[in-house]
Amino acid sequence: MTYPITGAGAVASIGGDLDEVFRSLCEGRSGLAPLRAFDRAQFNAQQLFEIDDRPAEGLDEPGRATRFLLEAVRQAAADAGLPEDLAGIPVLVGTGLRELRSLELWWRDGVPFGADELHFENALRSRFGAVDTHTFAGACSASLYALALAWDLLEQGEAETVIVAGCDVVTESMFGQADRVQFDPPSSVRPFDTGRQGTILGEGAAAVVLGRVPAEGRRPRGWLRSVAVNCDAHHQTAPDAAGVRAAVRQAQDRAAVTPEEIDLVLLHATGTPLNDRTEATVTAEVFAEARPALTGVKSLTGHTSGSAGLLSLIVALRSLETGIVPPIAGLTDPLSEGAGLNLVSGGPLTGPLRTAQVNSFGFGGVNAVAIVAGAA
Amino acid sequence: MNPVAMTGLSVALPGVDRPRGLLEPVAPDPAPVDPAVLIGKKGLRYKDRATRIGLHLAFAALTDAGLLDDGRLRAPGDRIGVVVSSNLGNADTVCRAVETIAKETTSGLSPMDTPNASSNIIASETAIRFGLRGPNLTVCNGAGSGLDAVRWAGLMVRSGRVDHMVVVGVEPDNPVTRRLVGGPVADGGAALVLSRSGETGPVRPAKALLAAGTRTAPSGTAPRRPAGTTPGTALRLTDEPDHVPPGEPSLDLAGWGELSGALGVVQCVAAAAWFAAGGAGTAHAVAGGAGVTLLAPGHAS
Repeated sequence: MTYPITGAGAVASIGGDLDEVFRSLCEGRSGLAPLRAFDRAQFNAQQLFEIDDRPAEGLDEPGRATRFLLEAVRQAAADAGLPEDLAGIPVLVGTGLRELRSLELWWRDGVPFGADELHFENALRSRFGAVDTHTFAGACSASLYALALAWDLLEQGEAETVIVAGCDVVTESMFGQADRVQFDPPSSVRPFDTGRQGTILGEGAAAVVLGRVPAEGRRPRGWLRSVAVNCDAHHQTAPDAAGVRAAVRQAQDRAAVTPEEIDLVLLHATGTPLNDRTEATVTAEVFAEARPALTGVKSLTGHTSGSAGLLSLIVALRSLETGIVPPIAGLTDPLSEGAGLNLVSGGPLTGPLRTAQVNSFGFGGVNAVAIVAGAA
Repeated sequence: MNPVAMTGLSVALPGVDRPRGLLEPVAPDPAPVDPAVLIGKKGLRYKDRATRIGLHLAFAALTDAGLLDDGRLRAPGDRIGVVVSSNLGNADTVCRAVETIAKETTSGLSPMDTPNASSNIIASETAIRFGLRGPNLTVCNGAGSGLDAVRWAGLMVRSGRVDHMVVVGVEPDNPVTRRLVGGPVADGGAALVLSRSGETGPVRPAKALLAAGTRTAPSGTAPRRPAGTTPGTALRLTDEPDHVPPGEPSLDLAGWGELSGALGVVQCVAAAAWFAAGGAGTAHAVAGGAGVTLLAPGHAS
């Protein structure tokens, strides 16, 4: 089984749409900047990959995750040629942190907020008329989890078209908890490099439109071949190679592709010592007989939490379409577990690409892996 | 379509520790839920209240389904997944953190709270404790969240991703959640296990069957009794009176404060209890635009 991806949209610190995000990745433009709205005196770390959309410098406002979500969904729906009214189309949103930033501003500063605004139902209904809307909080792999459920809806014949999205802004509580345990905050995110010191959070939203069949007369963006989801059931924050390996193998089995048939892997690659080591070990093992190009986006976008998986997937689609793979920015000295892997560094790699794997892993060992193919 | 079977049930609400209790009046001054009584104190120290109750509920439902025996899993862990429904679960951790940062900088935070800042904490802790390696996610979708969680769990069973899904609906009562919903919160919830129909092995017989799930705009048109059915044989589970056609039995389950994300799961468990008590036929649960229809076991669909 394979389903057409008929539209895509994205917003991140490095671009307001998919083309701009992809150009920034190829040109090595980073979204890392000094804290834009948090009180700098309260944190050791002083940088984040925030989207620069606040009307007043240094002042935060509620509802930003919702705003980015609506923009990504708008772009994806328009790209797929869907009408503005999305009634009758399920919208599945994966997010790590929902509108918890607004909750923080409500509790601390008294900004008006209600429990019904923690999720995105009301916003999606009033903006697009969508009623079958769902907010999933599956840690950092949330948006690919939502993609797996969309797959099941199509496969079970319960929908003809599904919109899947991911969105996240940085919350002070998540940033603060990370800050509490990172005594020496990283100055940059350096995935798969021996000099990596940890991750830095980012903001972003991504959306795709999936159909059971391609729209007539329109070329799809690409094809979704499979999505595998599982859980390590191992540790609260540390990854487990067995769980990650099982998710990768399951995704390849479900798509009926061999490792040799995969030309590109979008790594989860957060730049944290243990996560990258585990992912490199599993990748080297699974692709022992193959040499796909490996890249990741987080050195330039930051770790965009629940939206990260879908953002990577959209970048993979763009690479399949253009034959251009953006490099892992900042990678100069690959970690030893990655020796022999074809990690793209320095500049973009060009060449024909047909099939890509997208990795997304989260806290609690919540893993999701997707396989996509180009439209050609 | 082969309906999905509900094979395990559990409830933990003040004064109620078994499904049947949901059909009875709420006791005055009920004792709060104490998860340590059922699952022991070990491993609960740094867990938030919602996670503790969630672990208690999952343990009881998995045991009721025959999937856990004396705490040991009796079916392959990679074929069992977890869906949690909770809107308010980690709200207090998040709000306390932002308050602490403002007063003391991040040095005042406890590293032990880091996992609790994730909204998926209840689901991932449930997986870790019982070795459930299937899909693992949290539905935070407002009033319809619990019924949505049942629907998604049913979908993953039907699509073959898993053989069993444990669905946990839980909400904690604390100053943050009270202020957020404008009143007391239930401080408990319910759980159920969905299994593939005809699944053999350790699983107990079905207590109810899961039929269709729907979603409309909240407070949409009230469902009418389907033509050709006998009045009085379909139970309505809803706290929205507009959804109860005249003459139909109904349960509002309103005695415990705000159930929020736990509501839909509590409704489904109450429906199974109603079938067990001799209530025949069908039960319709409605909450926040989500609807789920349940059939008594052995019901010809």
